[in-house]
Amino acid sequence: MLSRVAENLYWMTRYLERAENTARLINSTTQVLLDLPRGASFGWDVLIKVAGLDAVAAERGIVMDETGIMRFLIEDEDNPSSIVSSIHFARENTRTFREVLPMEIWERINRLFLYIRAEARQAAQGRRARYEVLNGVIEQRQSIIGLLSGSMSHDIAFQFLKLGRNIERADMTTRIVDVNSAVQLPTDQVVAVPTMERLWMGTLNTLSAYQMYRRHVGVHVRSQDVVNFLLKDPHFPRTAIHCLNEIEGCLSALPRHETAMKAARQAWRRLESMRLDDLAPVVLHEYLDQIQSDLGAIHAAVAKQYFHLHQDLAAQTQTNQ
Amino acid sequence: MNVVHPHRTLQHAYRRDLRSHDTPPLLNLRGRASGYIKTPQTPGTLPAKLFCMEINTAAYAANPAYDELLDADCRPRDAARPLFDFIDALSPETLEARRQAVDAAIMAMGITFTVYSDGANIDRAWPFDLIPRVMAKKEWERIEAGLKQRLTALNLFIDDLYNEQRIVKDGVFPIEVLEGSKNFREQCRGISPRFGVWAHVCGTDLVRDRDGTVYVLEDNLRVPSGVSYMLENRQLMKRMFPEMFLTSRILPVDDYPTQLHDTLAALSPRDTARPVIAVLTPGIFNSAYFEHSYLAQQMGAFLVEGSDLVVQDDDCVYMKTISGLRRVDVVYRRIDDDFLDPEAFRPDSTLGVTGLMRAWRAGRVGIANAPGAGVADDKVVYTFVPQIIKYYLDEEPIIPNVPSWLCMYEDQRDYVLAHLDELVVKPANESGGYGMLIGPRATPEERAQFAELIRENPRNYMAQPTLSISTAPTLMDGKLAPRHLDLRPFVLQSDRLYATTGGLTRVALREGSLVVNSSQGGGSKDTWIVDMEGA
Repeated sequence: MLSRVAENLYWMTRYLERAENTARLINSTTQVLLDLPRGASFGWDVLIKVAGLDAVAAERGIVMDETGIMRFLIEDEDNPSSIVSSIHFARENTRTFREVLPMEIWERINRLFLYIRAEARQAAQGRRARYEVLNGVIEQRQSIIGLLSGSMSHDIAFQFLKLGRNIERADMTTRIVDVNSAVQLPTDQVVAVPTMERLWMGTLNTLSAYQMYRRHVGVHVRSQDVVNFLLKDPHFPRTAIHCLNEIEGCLSALPRHETAMKAARQAWRRLESMRLDDLAPVVLHEYLDQIQSDLGAIHAAVAKQYFHLHQDLAAQTQTNQ
Repeated sequence: MNVVHPHRTLQHAYRRDLRSHDTPPLLNLRGRASGYIKTPQTPGTLPAKLFCMEINTAAYAANPAYDELLDADCRPRDAARPLFDFIDALSPETLEARRQAVDAAIMAMGITFTVYSDGANIDRAWPFDLIPRVMAKKEWERIEAGLKQRLTALNLFIDDLYNEQRIVKDGVFPIEVLEGSKNFREQCRGISPRFGVWAHVCGTDLVRDRDGTVYVLEDNLRVPSGVSYMLENRQLMKRMFPEMFLTSRILPVDDYPTQLHDTLAALSPRDTARPVIAVLTPGIFNSAYFEHSYLAQQMGAFLVEGSDLVVQDDDCVYMKTISGLRRVDVVYRRIDDDFLDPEAFRPDSTLGVTGLMRAWRAGRVGIANAPGAGVADDKVVYTFVPQIIKYYLDEEPIIPNVPSWLCMYEDQRDYVLAHLDELVVKPANESGGYGMLIGPRATPEERAQFAELIRENPRNYMAQPTLSISTAPTLMDGKLAPRHLDLRPFVLQSDRLYATTGGLTRVALREGSLVVNSSQGGGSKDTWIVDMEGA
């Protein structure tokens, strides 16, 4: 596997995962806002903070109202993390390794790109169309994952796809969990408690996790239970710990994975030892930052080992593998 | 909040590629701004409808060219009859629906070509016409034999030029033509690649004149492109009109990737069961990138850029993989000689691989097409191909050349200068229609300027009569109208000799236009070689 191809495969799934999670985040936020009681406030700008795009948004001079922020997150091609940009990058990356993917994958990704390019404007402007269009993104992205796992050999190329997907997914899950820390609740506890419950229900829905949460944790949606579930449940496929387990699995299938594996284990141990009960929002936010930077360390190790391996060429010559 | 996402690889890729593309894209699906002119003809009475399809009778009445599918009375030629039988069974609505479905499929399959303009790359859908170009198998077999004959002779010629130069010593090929050749590479002197073959992949452009004669217009021996479109065109037709292929009279084209793979594998210096083959592309911004990735995919080869390869002290070529370096046996390069190896050719090239020539000379890697093969891809050398075939094979050319005048010879030059208003004059080494004079369409001033150019550098020019190249019915606004076309078959040679079944038909979609180049309003058609035996 060429280093350049491995790198592009990895980023291709990161972009797709990012697009899907951004779509999820926007959809559930749109829903939650409808249910907020008087006295509670939750600004759309939270989404920009959560995505880590404050600087880009400031630079672009984004109008911080619903339409402005939706356009920025959905269709703005100058925002490299917007849904359109992410899918565009994924598509362009896919071109560079069409020869290693099943032919249909290119067609699906191309179709997804043509779809979002045509629909993005509408999705940014109105809530009704937005839900439909973003759901379309999520569905098409899911069908790409399904097609990949069902029609592509689970070879090295596949491991890089899976690695990118899980690193990005873990990162996005921590960001989505972070959304509620920005909500200002009314002081009246009678209103505040059920509101918080609805917000966390929204978070679970964002990640298609509500049903599984109820089955495995319980009917009551309490913040510490949700945080524990979304970060540390080993079985649900979008939790941080699950993604870290997947990352370890991918790395163990790759050659010379020692450094990257060390970074992955480190992240895993740190998350495992976090006590997440009754955290103040500020502390939770710091914990989430820690997980994100641990994921960044895994990325850096992977990039060094597999993508930029060739600083020392002569040492590693092998004529056949 | 340390939530800044890691760097975006692709943006880096963009920058890298933009830098390497300070030079214009090297490869084009080359078309020619051909100088073929038509003259009006007396219209007869033509049918307004052909089965269910309307014919643009005015356009056909005024069409002096040979039509590939219809005879002078607008009746289907024999080989086209099964096609029209099929079309007859469709309603115009069905046909229109299929046409739209084809357009949608082209978008979905992402069959595109890239046009670079205004500093941005635009991905355009591949313009495709539903009505195939049809040729009887019997005629094709003669052409196929001619193509193989031609490439065999050209390879003997190239090998001779870089070694003994017998053909020059025997006075058949003038030394001054060789000396004036831009594509003769001193670096290749004394090398004899495996099988003595230099041009492993050749795209030969054929045109048919008014009287039905098929001529070779040019031999593309450097990095000919377009074969992926030939394959995709057939995929599209099979996807949209599966019924047409039920009769098994249309010969398949899809063995090309296998044949190309085996042709390349035969060049491997190592005797391994599965040699490592790499398709070397200038990168994603090249107009033929789609084809490079397509062929790599179809052959199970690696698609590499210059920066993915490295030549080590052992003179072997390696690619950079996630587990270190891996030896490459054969490079199918889609980069021009000039950019192939900064050590041997242009030192400023960032597309190539330093040391690639060294590895090739040492016999440690196969390169297709071999560096220097372009010496026979020269419009002046072209005029000698009939003599070249005779000299090496002692055979008459099966497919004729377009008659040509060479400006380097005084008597021929005088003729050209006296008849500039009726000739097409081409420079030796340009392609894509650049720098040529289309006499009948030029102004007197342009002709006078060109006469000066010819006198200054006669070796660089050759002239041909203006042909009336053939047409085929093409769907324009729901009606069949004649549009000019050519045919580019692809011929392979190494341990075998193979020609595609048919080739890529390129069609000028603008009325009266002779430019088949996809960036200038050209499109393409599926090409059917039809077995008429027992019909």
